[in-house]
Amino acid sequence: MLVEVLTSVFNIQIFLFIILGVFTGICIGALPGLTATMGVALVLPLTFGLDAIPGILLLIGVYVGAIYGGSISGILLRTPGTPAAAATAIDGYEFSKRGESGRAMGISTVSSFIGGVVSVIALWLIAPQLAKLALRFSAPEFFLLAVFGLSIIASISGNSLAKGVLCGGLGISLSFIGIDGITGFPRFTFNDINLLSGMSFIPVMIGLFAMSQAFRTIEDIFTPDQVSQKISHVWPSKSDWKIILKFAPISGLIGTIIGIVPGAGAEIGAFVSYSQAKRMSKRPELFGTGIPEAIAAPEGGNNGVTGGALIPMLTMGVPGDAVAAIMIGALTVQGLQPGPLLFTEHTTLVYSIFLGMFVANVAMLVLGLSSLKLFVKVLSIPKAILTPMIFVLCVVGSYAINTNFFDVGVMLFFGIVGYFMQKVDMSVSPAVLGLILGPMAESNFRRALLMSEGNYSIFFTSVIAWIFVALIFITLLGPQITALFKRKTA
Amino acid sequence: MRKANFIVSGVFAVFAIVIIAISLTFPPSNHGVPGPGMFPIIIASLILVSALSLAIKTLTMNKEEDTAIDLKSKNILNVYVTMVGMIVYFVLLPLIGFVVTTTVMLILYIKWYGKRSWLKTILIAVIFVLAIFFLFGSVLNVPMRFGILI
Repeated sequence: MLVEVLTSVFNIQIFLFIILGVFTGICIGALPGLTATMGVALVLPLTFGLDAIPGILLLIGVYVGAIYGGSISGILLRTPGTPAAAATAIDGYEFSKRGESGRAMGISTVSSFIGGVVSVIALWLIAPQLAKLALRFSAPEFFLLAVFGLSIIASISGNSLAKGVLCGGLGISLSFIGIDGITGFPRFTFNDINLLSGMSFIPVMIGLFAMSQAFRTIEDIFTPDQVSQKISHVWPSKSDWKIILKFAPISGLIGTIIGIVPGAGAEIGAFVSYSQAKRMSKRPELFGTGIPEAIAAPEGGNNGVTGGALIPMLTMGVPGDAVAAIMIGALTVQGLQPGPLLFTEHTTLVYSIFLGMFVANVAMLVLGLSSLKLFVKVLSIPKAILTPMIFVLCVVGSYAINTNFFDVGVMLFFGIVGYFMQKVDMSVSPAVLGLILGPMAESNFRRALLMSEGNYSIFFTSVIAWIFVALIFITLLGPQITALFKRKTA
Repeated sequence: MRKANFIVSGVFAVFAIVIIAISLTFPPSNHGVPGPGMFPIIIASLILVSALSLAIKTLTMNKEEDTAIDLKSKNILNVYVTMVGMIVYFVLLPLIGFVVTTTVMLILYIKWYGKRSWLKTILIAVIFVLAIFFLFGSVLNVPMRFGILI
């Protein structure tokens, strides 16, 4: 199998796809207004015509590149290219003010690489074990796992639990449309032939993540683009290396753990790593004034999320973040069902993804250190030209999945809905995660009751099930209980 | 934000009630095994409860916590005009065809946003549309013929 994995990744075609993905990702990440999720959603249609391994590695390349690329504009313009680089922008821009933007970007590149590699190693070590455990899951456990995922998403994404539930609920409700998988009864189809096969979620995702984001860019389309400065001295100095090696690996690990948690993405990974580094540092008062550890930590942390987010996605079919949700879409298009069986039936594919992700991180390091000047040039692409082009990519991308015109309408509808959701402070990620976890929860819930002939005690018969029940309670009631506790002691 | 929160909670409450009303017409549970309507009703009830709790929370919210949402400034109006343009484009796309409609759409948007010369604008739009058409139509084998004018 080792030989198969090596030959499937170490060939020029795959390398080119990975490098193309990373390059595109860095450009997308560097441009403010284009997020990693948007990038992956826009590139996704290109993978329909590819085989599974090059297709998924292209997307992973974009993901890894975009999370790193966000730091470029964060450092140069103080405008993070992606939300994940918001923490980096704080100190990164201080470097630029001193004329040391090259130094900041060098630190960011190396730390992103280290964070990414730590997460790939974690992915490699944890995922197969978790898949083995998940093989023992049957319908009741999968139902509880889906509910656990949904409860985390509702409680951590966005500022308000109620809004999180509303968004997640919207996503789950969309999944009801179409023929019911268990009874064959058509639900919410309104006698429309397009709705019979259900809402295909790729147009929904392109709408919610790419189109709505493009509409947001229109808001300040007439403000002039910022001019960037020249950069030099990218390779970190000896003293910077010491700091990078102290902070980036730990941040990478923190990021990985956060990535595993469904719904918590790279921006949370970056901020948690940033505050952890502040606690670890001997000079916390200097954070915010432009010190190397304040870049190394969030950059290690956000790239750490990339590998972590794939762990629950590949092993259990539960997306670790919105990008992982889109990758589930990519795998499904290829006829592959993410979950424990992927590890036994498509072992080569799984290990090729692991190895390919490592290669993507190396490509990111090499491109970052060698071609930063080129990526800085990307920042001068006017958004007045770029944004209408994104419209076209959204339209073509959503059409390409089924060559069905109806899907374009779905994409446009959710683009508009997503725009207004963000306006009223509702994060769109829970909707997409709900769209994936909803059917998983429902079908396993009903399958479990079919197995037990309607006896609900089936959900409490195994140790794993009890663990999930406990986790669901902790997630939903934990914040309320700690708040109550704090009020009592205060 | 107060007004927006009330609108959100209202819209979702209506949405949930519609789901419940439709789900009640679905076939019932069979020997304790839930029918197709059970899960939608559970989720819709959750949505309803959350919508109500959002409304109550907003009612008891301090005035100081309230933040303004911009839905009417000139910048936002540009977004609305863009949205309407996209809807018109979506309607015309199957009638006229991908290449022509998309090129015209791109030219109009780029010209409006960027104030570049007509020649430059047209050149950018035509090259991009042809590149996409070739990439999807020939390399990725997506049938790109929507209408009469390709």
